[in-house]
Amino acid sequence: MENKNTDLKIKNLRKAFGKNKVLNGIDFELVEGERVVILGPSGSGKSTFLRCINWMEEPTSGEIYFDGVLLTEKNIRKMRRNMGMVFQHFNLINNLTVMENLTLAPVKLKLMKRDTAEKRAKELLRHIGLPNKANAYPASLSGGQKQRIAIIRAMMLSPEVLLFDEPTSALDPESIGDVLELIRELADRGMTIMIVTHEMSFAKEIATRIVFLDKGKIIEEGTPDEFFNHPKTPRVKEFLKKVL
Amino acid sequence: MGGFFDKVVELFSTPEYIDSLLHGFWLTIQISYFAILIGILLGTIIALIDTAKPSKWLVIPKFICRIYTTIIRGTPMALQLFIMFFIIFAIKGFPSIITAIIAFGLNSAAYTAEVIRGGILSVDIGQTEAGMALGLSRRTIFFKIVAPQAIKNIIPALGNEIITVIKETAIVSMVGMYDLNMAAKDIGSGQNMASYIVPMFVAALFYLVTIYLITFIVKQVEKSLRKSDLRAEE
Repeated sequence: MENKNTDLKIKNLRKAFGKNKVLNGIDFELVEGERVVILGPSGSGKSTFLRCINWMEEPTSGEIYFDGVLLTEKNIRKMRRNMGMVFQHFNLINNLTVMENLTLAPVKLKLMKRDTAEKRAKELLRHIGLPNKANAYPASLSGGQKQRIAIIRAMMLSPEVLLFDEPTSALDPESIGDVLELIRELADRGMTIMIVTHEMSFAKEIATRIVFLDKGKIIEEGTPDEFFNHPKTPRVKEFLKKVL
Repeated sequence: MGGFFDKVVELFSTPEYIDSLLHGFWLTIQISYFAILIGILLGTIIALIDTAKPSKWLVIPKFICRIYTTIIRGTPMALQLFIMFFIIFAIKGFPSIITAIIAFGLNSAAYTAEVIRGGILSVDIGQTEAGMALGLSRRTIFFKIVAPQAIKNIIPALGNEIITVIKETAIVSMVGMYDLNMAAKDIGSGQNMASYIVPMFVAALFYLVTIYLITFIVKQVEKSLRKSDLRAEE
């Protein structure tokens, strides 16, 4: 069998906001090609966990290794280009056109020449069915369009891992389908993915592994079948009873 | 009311009066222009220090900025002007126009700093996070993402501040400077026209037209900056 790389290794990750301890010692590993869905009740630290991985939130303690490299204040900026992030509220840059949103990072980081970046951006826009939106500003787009553009913006840097922070929570039901379709396609192409979501059926369908957080700790993990059909802990059983 | 129109004709047909008015107007413009310039430069620096990520190097600068804006905004402009004239720059032969520019510039900086700070803080944190997640530098995030959006929120309030400075410079007449306000009083006084009403109205008109012009320019700038907010782009 082929030898898969470990993309991410997290040791005893803790995060507190003042006195509020949100993450209480998380150990986690992510192997290339995995699709991990993070579930948990609200306030369990799911989003904080995801946001600590690329240091949107600086961890209070613990170690995060990406491709074997320990993340530090010094190297985080360089490391971030390998971890694309998609936000709940899309966060397209409002003062830039769609094309500028897509090409800003690869050009500024000197990863691509402007014309190469624009060509790639056009291909991706065509691929998601929005080729005529290149010169539009985000304010003129629907939520679903914004989120799909946010996803291809992350893809512009060809990251090793994509982090999705509740990518469909701010969308109307119709747009949710479009966005999930795009994520599904990335998954089919072998993209390594971590996703925080409330879409249970999508989680079941797409995940290779489910991780369940409660009170800032991973209390259960397993394949979707194990997790949804044979939950081990009472907390997960209770959770599933409520959400399914 | 016949007297009123006679005085209007008198004012506009006496080169000496016109000269005085223009002279005063020119001083008002000079003080305002340079004070606003200082205000924007210093105000921007204060706002940047104030909104910068806390670090040990910035503890003292941040503290100084706080004290500065608190004092300036907490005391009357007229008093600040007096302190500049009669205490700090009470040097024989020191040009009073410089003193006035510094006094108004330092005052305006405190207000401008608040305007700029508010503008920067009003930009959604998600915009900065998007830049961070893409691996962009703080510098790029500020200049390409935050600043252009902040300016849209800053311009209207900054226009307000510019207008305030222009009108407030009228108090330099209190320290004997010959600005537009003083010119009106001078022309109207007994040795000259012996009527305040016409020169005062004309001076008011000068202020009004100047400020109207600035309002117009600010509106145009605002409009051009709002380009990316339009939903029409298809």
